[in-house]
Amino acid sequence: MSRTSLDSPLRNAKRWRGFLIQPIVCRWLPIAAVGLCLTPLGAGQAPPNPPEKPLDFNRDIRPVLSDNCFACHGPEEESRQGNLRLDSKESVFADRGGYRIIAPGSSATSRLYQRISSKEKRMPPASSGRSLTPKQIELLREWIDQGAKWQSHWAFDPPKHPAIPEIKDKTWPRNPIDYFTLARLEAEGLKPSAEADKATLLRRVSFDLTGLPPAPAEVDSFIANQSPDAYEKKVDQLLNSLHYGERMAMQWLDLARYADTHGFHIDSLREMWPWRDWVIDAFNRNMPFDEFTIEQLAGDLLPEATLEQKIASGFNRNNMINFEGGAIPEEYHVEYVVDRASTTATTWLGLTMGCARCHDHKYDPIKQKEFYRFYAFFNTVPERGLDGYEGNAAPVLQLPSAEQKRQMVDLNQQIASVLTAMPEKEVLALRNEWQKTRIATLPEPPGGGLVTHYRFNGDLSDDFSRYDGKLVRGEVVYEDGPTGKAAEFSGEAQVNLGQAGDFDVGKPCALGLWVNLYGLKSSEVLQKKDASEHWTGYELGFGDVAYAGRHQRNLRFVVRLAARWPDAAIEVRTKDRVPMDAAHHVLVNYDGSGKAAGLKIYVDGKPWETETVKDALQGTFHTSASLEIGNKNIGGLFQGQLGDLRIYTRTLTDTEAENLAVHLPARVLLTELADTPAAEIATLQPDKPPQEADIGELAKAESKEQKQERLEKQRQARLSEYFLMHDAPERYKQLYSRLAGLRKEREKLEKSITTTMIMAEMSKPRDAFVLGRGQYDNKGEKVTPGVPSFLLPMSRDLPPNRLGLAKWILDPSNPLTARVVVNQYWQQYFGTGIVKTAEDFGSQGEPPSHPELLDWLATEFVRSGWDVKAMQRLIVTSATYRQSSRASRELIERDPENRLLARGPRFRLPAELVRDNALAVSGLLNDKIGGPSVYPNQPKGLWEEMAFGEGYSGQSYAQSSSSDLYRRGMYTVWKRTVPPPSLTLFDAPDREKCTARRAVTNTPLQALVLLNDPTYVEASRALAVRALHNGGKSDRARIDFAFKLATARTPNAQEQAVLLSSLREFRSAYRQDQANASKLLSVGETKADSTLGAGELAAWTTVASMILNLDETITKQ
Amino acid sequence: MGDSLTPEISAAMTRRQFFRRSTAGIAIGIPALATLLTTDGFGADTATDPKTGGLVGLPHFPPKARRVIFLHQSGAPSQMELFDYKPNLVKWQGAELPDSVRMGQRITGMTSAQSSFPVAPSIFKFSQYGRSGAWISELLPYHTKIVDDITIIKTVYSEAINHDPAITFLQTGFQQPGRPSMGAWTTYGLGSENQNLPAFVVLISQANALNPDQPLFSRLWGSGFLPSRYQGVKFRASGDPVLYLSNPPGVSTVTRRRLLDGIGKLNRLLAEKYADPEIDTRVAQYEMAYRMQTSVPDLMDLSKEPESTFELYGPDSRKPGTYASNCLLARRLAERGVRFIQLYHRGWDQHNDLPRDIALQCKGVDQPSAALILDLKQRGMLDDTLVVWAGEFGRTVYCQGKLTGTNYGRDHHPRCFSIWMAGGGIQRGLTIGKTDDYCYNIVEDQVHVHDLQATILHCLGIDHLKLTYKFQGRYFRLTDVGGFLVKKALA
Repeated sequence: MSRTSLDSPLRNAKRWRGFLIQPIVCRWLPIAAVGLCLTPLGAGQAPPNPPEKPLDFNRDIRPVLSDNCFACHGPEEESRQGNLRLDSKESVFADRGGYRIIAPGSSATSRLYQRISSKEKRMPPASSGRSLTPKQIELLREWIDQGAKWQSHWAFDPPKHPAIPEIKDKTWPRNPIDYFTLARLEAEGLKPSAEADKATLLRRVSFDLTGLPPAPAEVDSFIANQSPDAYEKKVDQLLNSLHYGERMAMQWLDLARYADTHGFHIDSLREMWPWRDWVIDAFNRNMPFDEFTIEQLAGDLLPEATLEQKIASGFNRNNMINFEGGAIPEEYHVEYVVDRASTTATTWLGLTMGCARCHDHKYDPIKQKEFYRFYAFFNTVPERGLDGYEGNAAPVLQLPSAEQKRQMVDLNQQIASVLTAMPEKEVLALRNEWQKTRIATLPEPPGGGLVTHYRFNGDLSDDFSRYDGKLVRGEVVYEDGPTGKAAEFSGEAQVNLGQAGDFDVGKPCALGLWVNLYGLKSSEVLQKKDASEHWTGYELGFGDVAYAGRHQRNLRFVVRLAARWPDAAIEVRTKDRVPMDAAHHVLVNYDGSGKAAGLKIYVDGKPWETETVKDALQGTFHTSASLEIGNKNIGGLFQGQLGDLRIYTRTLTDTEAENLAVHLPARVLLTELADTPAAEIATLQPDKPPQEADIGELAKAESKEQKQERLEKQRQARLSEYFLMHDAPERYKQLYSRLAGLRKEREKLEKSITTTMIMAEMSKPRDAFVLGRGQYDNKGEKVTPGVPSFLLPMSRDLPPNRLGLAKWILDPSNPLTARVVVNQYWQQYFGTGIVKTAEDFGSQGEPPSHPELLDWLATEFVRSGWDVKAMQRLIVTSATYRQSSRASRELIERDPENRLLARGPRFRLPAELVRDNALAVSGLLNDKIGGPSVYPNQPKGLWEEMAFGEGYSGQSYAQSSSSDLYRRGMYTVWKRTVPPPSLTLFDAPDREKCTARRAVTNTPLQALVLLNDPTYVEASRALAVRALHNGGKSDRARIDFAFKLATARTPNAQEQAVLLSSLREFRSAYRQDQANASKLLSVGETKADSTLGAGELAAWTTVASMILNLDETITKQ
Repeated sequence: MGDSLTPEISAAMTRRQFFRRSTAGIAIGIPALATLLTTDGFGADTATDPKTGGLVGLPHFPPKARRVIFLHQSGAPSQMELFDYKPNLVKWQGAELPDSVRMGQRITGMTSAQSSFPVAPSIFKFSQYGRSGAWISELLPYHTKIVDDITIIKTVYSEAINHDPAITFLQTGFQQPGRPSMGAWTTYGLGSENQNLPAFVVLISQANALNPDQPLFSRLWGSGFLPSRYQGVKFRASGDPVLYLSNPPGVSTVTRRRLLDGIGKLNRLLAEKYADPEIDTRVAQYEMAYRMQTSVPDLMDLSKEPESTFELYGPDSRKPGTYASNCLLARRLAERGVRFIQLYHRGWDQHNDLPRDIALQCKGVDQPSAALILDLKQRGMLDDTLVVWAGEFGRTVYCQGKLTGTNYGRDHHPRCFSIWMAGGGIQRGLTIGKTDDYCYNIVEDQVHVHDLQATILHCLGIDHLKLTYKFQGRYFRLTDVGGFLVKKALA
């Protein structure tokens, strides 16, 4: 691999040309006057400390150059100034015809030093926004004077297994890690801290390996165990706990940007918990990290991939997806792929690859084209760009239970056998024969008593010309409907039907029509009533909407008659909801009785069960108001389709109702299709396989011909269906009814099966292109999958797909992977990684605090066969890890972030563990592992106030019940646009993007959560009950017990005194105020223990709350 | 003790105390202090000012505005119906939008399938008002009273054509999630000026019956890659105004005080053992939480506002959660020194039935928006408060759906839209920018979203090029790689 390849002659030529055109950009031209002039430090600037030891380029110099200079003198060609790269050895040391940028050993003659110390033409220029501190300038001078020893970027050279360093104190180390850390401490003149006391250590390692605190009995037996390997045994035990997998998964979920919703815009729910379960299980089985990687990046591409391997590939389906109306599919598809490329690069390579999306990387040698080659690995998933309306987006994997699987096979077999029993050809022949003669025998639509009839066949005329409709405003259009044409209302048209439907309380009548609602909400359909609040008259409509997926809603049909609304009125509605998926026929019969029982509702020709909401009509509901379509008084007018409105002055019989809803449409179809026999029976065809997605195609307007063809097909299908349901030979009728039933059942079964999103490859892969400025519609050069050339080349033996990529990532000579991963582990234990910038191992990242240790761990990890548990064991059994975190103020001052590791780690627990700890300590925790996410207590209305409204999942929060309320924090439903507040306030990320490290902040809002969130109040009560029942008899013993549950230690005398005096105060307050005591005890879903006095329990609850709020309780130390 | 709710302050204060206590005789320079101030593991190369919790060296120059009230009109108000008067459109009613105007520019998936793009002139009347003679639509009668206090910009443009990316762009400077919001950048840079409230507060109008179908996302006031303490704190109209603010039932103020005293004592005992400054910080944060429990309800309590206030803001201002009530709260927050006050009001996404819906929408928005300006002015606060009224993009001149003489709809249009700004640092009574006769493209004075953001920061005394944060090796800023000051707008 040649790094100089980046400086090809061609590129030089190009740069040279740029130089000629824009000589001004060359800021590095010799400046005669500068010469040997050293800029003195300004007044007030502290003199820099003389360096005590030889400077190290990677540690001391490259970060300074990178941060301040590379943006204009780095890998990116576009903005490179003055034909100078300061990231390239060749460029830096080249003889530039009389001067050198760096002359080793002579800062005075080095142009670099001249310019950074110059007064007039100082580098970096003010316009860059960067400037060097006096100390940095001195560092550079010193480094040049020391001989300017150049090193390639540390992270891009493969780690070499370093020798174990020599140390003075050979008694301290427990394993090789300690030689590295001690060597550094000895060099700094520091000593390690003593080992933490056993209780503290046990609590620390328990949180680190399982995320849960040790039980007091566990603490006691560990303290009592004097055997020399007691700690190691305990570690093994914790590593074998099934909670180990959960603890390890938590950090991985941040990297994988795991969430339970899609993230963009409407942000509805998805189902990815099977993938989460896979991760937990993989850690618990101690799956080697290479397998863990391969299965997550390319499990679907493995030969004979198992179900589990496919589930694992969901890692890169955790990205956000969008279905905002109007969004352009290709635009979002690009975002998904960019996200995958960036996440994969951050997680495994510690590279900020996404920076090269719009231009060459400014700091690391990643070309823009190389970014898109990396991108190309993830570009060929058969996905749509805009998807996720109804949960998971293809490609998905169904995960039926054994029982569901059996049912599915069974249903499919039955469907197949029904289809075989009714050959399409045969049925088609019968159906076309039938079509010729049937019309003669079909019943006529009911006629007697018909007083008004709107066909909506192009206008609003009444067949009897009595009550022709009038358009008050807007416009009505006429489209294909169930019985010929039907009227379409866009929600802006107002129609007045005059005195049609002039019903009265004592007179029987019937009203029937076809309705299809277009809007998402409830809607009035017809009304004849006056405009007052207490109206007289009647109205028919659909209400009480229930949503069942994208734009799919079911509504009850409602009839209201009122002499005076709402007290003298009848309201009747259907017991079941009508699925508003198409036009439905509704018919209302009123028998003139003035009672709710006298109203009968038919839907699609069948009488439906009704429920009576009101039955208190007194007097007549007759009104002289006009019959109107929709309701102009309550906002929106009717939006939808109406067909064949008939009004009778008598009730209709069941047969007549069926006639209108079933036979009349057939009659119309037979007339329309009289001369066109069917060529196929669409309803008998086996299911078509789903089509592969195509990105970039926007919906096109349907041409007239296409529309005609579509309508024709629909009519034929409807007529065939009628034939098969009513008139086909009995055998076929039965078979068809069976087929419909089976299909319905299968649909229901399909909906009930858990799915998870997975990776897959398109049969015909999509091309990838360099995208100019990163924009989806700015396609440049076509690219093939590939890896950045500054790293090891991808072997020709590897397939150029994700599987090949995964294997390349895991190549032992890949310089990044093992380092990046062990650093993530280290960060989990010590709060800060050996490389602090866990997400960036590039030249802008921080150099490692212990480079040899990092390399030793990385090579050891590979050597062990990527043994994940062994690596955790190695770290937590080191003396370095086992140090006490108590420190002198001087040490904290000297090393506030504990980068030197002269003490043990101490930091606030991660968000999920703050919760888990309180629940575990109080005994409320439900430690069930895995499964779907749960909905614990959270303030009411959080989802709703930001929601899209109705019609999609994930818009309203339905709290879980019983033990699901007390699951571990990692199972809390993660809605990206409204992440769980009690977790995010403790720095849990929103999971919109890959997160390699979390901040640890300390805010008043955190105090409010721990003091007031019902979850913590309930946990306080539960802890109090525990102390009262099991803590012994005395206050002292009980306080010790509760305190020890929370901190693994007994309080000292001073602490005990504080707690006891607080208890006494609370006790006297709550004994006097039983009402408040009861109120406090009522918080939470579990019931308070009534055997304990309310005052006493409330006082103890408050003491327990104190304990749960202690810094020590929420801190790993 | 530190006595502000901005965490940095307390951190700074407690740590300063810690230094006084622990380093007797040892001279500690500012750099050491600065290192200790950033123990969240991020932003290690930035020092914070112990007085405000903002960055040392900020503001970069004397600010004209000390705080911002951003009235985000979510869903995108139609510029042709409100501020951008286009009399010629009547002539072309129903005529196809000329290709020479559209120039093949992309449109959303909602109208891209339309076979025709007929011009829909606004049915609303415009007149000129004030000394400035600004054109204002009849839909905004109250705005006619403030035209001489505000600067209208008719030529703002965005790069996104759908709500999610466009709102995210306006609020964070980037279309895709992951960047800090404007309020987070501001508080990161300038810290807080108040003692008992968060520095960045978010108020959301509760969805009205008219059109609730606009989701919002917490990333709009999130902190992105900045530490989470910079994220906006949402004040809610129902339940606890701030999440978890109220004591649990049955816990009196006295009991809570005792409980906090006990926790404080125990934490201080722990601090003696561990010497970890985080423990001191925690003690201070508990005290601030306690103070916040008083200051927030006091802020939300409108009972002491005189009748004239409610008259000014309109009857809705009595109803918690309305836009009017939130405008009033915004003034109260501004009075208390909250740095960035972000309102969101939904319901502008009028794809169809625009004339009816925008009229209803304006009824809820017009009076309170104007009242806020008048109220700030009469209190002398308009001079150092910057108010911005803006949606995320505009709407198309061509009709979405069916065009009739009285009804039409409009799709999303990012190429030009109208906003207004007022207050600290901004000219008064000015209209900036010119769009073409079709209100489709900008003819003069284009203002990119990044320009708007740069200008907002400028009013606060921030050079948008210099307020940066290093993340993933790159120095990010609110204005990404763009941003030019809207000099014409600056006073």
